[in-house]
Amino acid sequence: MSTPSAPPPCPHLAAHRLSSRPLRFLRRCLRVRPLGRPEIRRDPRELPRCSPCAAASPSPSPRLYACLSCAAVFCPSHAASHASASAGPGHQIAVDVDRAELFCAACGDQVYDPDFDHAVFLAQSSSLLPSTSSTSPSPAPRKRRRVDYRAWAPDPAEFALMSSADPTTSASAAAPAGLRGLNNLGNTCFMNSVLQALLHAPPLRNYFLGDRHNRFLCPRRTPVRHRAAEAEAAKVACLACDLDEIYSAAFSGERMPYSPANWWQHASNLASYEQQDAHEFFISILDHIHENIKDDQHKSHAQGHGDCCIAHRVFSGILRSDVTCTSCGFTSTTFEPCMDISLDLDVGDNTPFGVANTKPHVRNGERGLAGMNSKVSTLMRCLERFTRAERLDAEQKFFCERCDERQESLKQMSIRRLPLVSCFHIKRFEHSAVKKVSRKVDHCLQFPFSLDMAPYLSSSILRSRYGNRIFPAEASDADAVSELSSEFEIFAVITHSGKLEAGHYVTYLRLNNHWYKCDDAWVTRVEEHTVRTSQAYMLFYVQKTLYYKACERAAAV
Amino acid sequence: MSSSNDAPLSPRSQLALSCFEELLDCAVADVASECHRIARLGLDRSVDAEEEELRVWAARAAAGGDHHHPGGSGAAEEGGAGGGSKGGVDVFGQTHPAIAADVIECMNCGRPVVAGRFAPHLEKCMGKVVTGIAFGL
Repeated sequence: MSTPSAPPPCPHLAAHRLSSRPLRFLRRCLRVRPLGRPEIRRDPRELPRCSPCAAASPSPSPRLYACLSCAAVFCPSHAASHASASAGPGHQIAVDVDRAELFCAACGDQVYDPDFDHAVFLAQSSSLLPSTSSTSPSPAPRKRRRVDYRAWAPDPAEFALMSSADPTTSASAAAPAGLRGLNNLGNTCFMNSVLQALLHAPPLRNYFLGDRHNRFLCPRRTPVRHRAAEAEAAKVACLACDLDEIYSAAFSGERMPYSPANWWQHASNLASYEQQDAHEFFISILDHIHENIKDDQHKSHAQGHGDCCIAHRVFSGILRSDVTCTSCGFTSTTFEPCMDISLDLDVGDNTPFGVANTKPHVRNGERGLAGMNSKVSTLMRCLERFTRAERLDAEQKFFCERCDERQESLKQMSIRRLPLVSCFHIKRFEHSAVKKVSRKVDHCLQFPFSLDMAPYLSSSILRSRYGNRIFPAEASDADAVSELSSEFEIFAVITHSGKLEAGHYVTYLRLNNHWYKCDDAWVTRVEEHTVRTSQAYMLFYVQKTLYYKACERAAAV
Repeated sequence: MSSSNDAPLSPRSQLALSCFEELLDCAVADVASECHRIARLGLDRSVDAEEEELRVWAARAAAGGDHHHPGGSGAAEEGGAGGGSKGGVDVFGQTHPAIAADVIECMNCGRPVVAGRFAPHLEKCMGKVVTGIAFGL
């Protein structure tokens, strides 16, 4: 997928491996400059030169290679002649003195060797002081007991039983289970849109339908008989109970739109109610579910631990933030939990060239879409921007412990741990406190239905920061690749249309591989392009392993 | 930075120019080396997938409905299965009034309230004021 794999060696490299010591021994020839740039070690005053070139003209070549066999230095134009004219065999493999990359003079191409990369990796690791990581809270990879996955398929009797009971395969079920309109109670579409997305988030849906929070048994709602006047004070609002009620209503099989009055009454107490912004509402709902249903054992109230409540178990991921001193390379790392990722929607920013740390986008194929590219933002580009190394302002100089003074620095975000459900919030509403003006960004966003988050993980970002070397398995660092997959499938899109003050929220749901538009009480089936061309405001992706592919078969019935 | 042939460059300018060119060559070689490694080691597959997605998206966007329609697509795309949100029927074959007609009993004052007006009723009932920024109607 996204792990570097060594390509088969050219015959010259293969021959070199057999005849010489393993390339790992070149480690002592390597030196690592700040920011992890490896090069061939040389004396401070020594200036490598290509001897044939120096004789002809004094202008230096941008690229110099050193032969692995005799340490002769030459430029690319003289490489082939060195390989063929040398006395003994085995002068074909050389190394780029400034970049520590192997070069085959006979093939005239850059080649790759895992052993050599291992040497570079070791040199880079030892040159960097152990970075400080202040964690809040500490997400050190605890060994969690996991149950091995065992595949299961139904036998004919079970299959027959499932088919008869499954509402999605029965002929009368034109629509999947749980699909039900929500009445607008008066400017409440921002709430309805979030509810629809939550109703169909697989882990959350399974939690409530699996009776993990029973509203009749919830200790917070144990009815205590008071007089009617005090009833309001006595009845403690439990949002999780209200949510349980909505799940029951949505999956009851009843198709007339449901009025979430109880939910509204309690939700309207939240501060976010004032804003009527779907994203704010979503975040405050999760916060309140956290407040309502923390673990009975009171294990950990610290957010981000992941086990405290269902909201965190489903939506909480961990972000890694690295701040690097540009002068000495010292990196300070912090981890913070996040329930969603807010992405800037930058209209004018479609630069094909990024900072060296990011994946270069220069491809011939993009020429044809040049006109399109300047108008279209994509989710993946937003994520690339999010994980790009950014130079902090001169005013925000970071105090480097190694240099012992304030220095200019680079900041880079990456995802340490992915949640079960990834929610992306597209920042379409800009509020300027200075100008006291708010405006909406109408720009269209392209988003994929299947998303691979691997390039944005900390492991990938770190690897590319240090040159995408091939790491041998046993040398992987503490940031172990997450055991969960990085592949996601979209299941809900909340869109906002219209102006800032007079807009409308609508949720598109992907069920049984069809798309449904949930516009308050109106639920209609729509085509893919309707969803693709809508103005996405919040995007919900679930881990592919939790996305039931069996639904696709039901659609064929 | 054009090297004009009209006036000979001073040695200093020549030095600066060759310095710049060397730096530029170095930077270009850096990028080339990185790209070569990414391509050879198979790390760039997601870029291809993304381009393909963009092509599909562009084709669909051009061919499909107009995306300036507030509230989603027009009735044409949905065919017989159901019209737009206002008019026609929903996926279950039902129609709904503009203001929800369901009657709810207010848990605060006990009066029956029409669902579509429940929120404003509750506001007055419980003494709330709304100052929305991003109104969702």
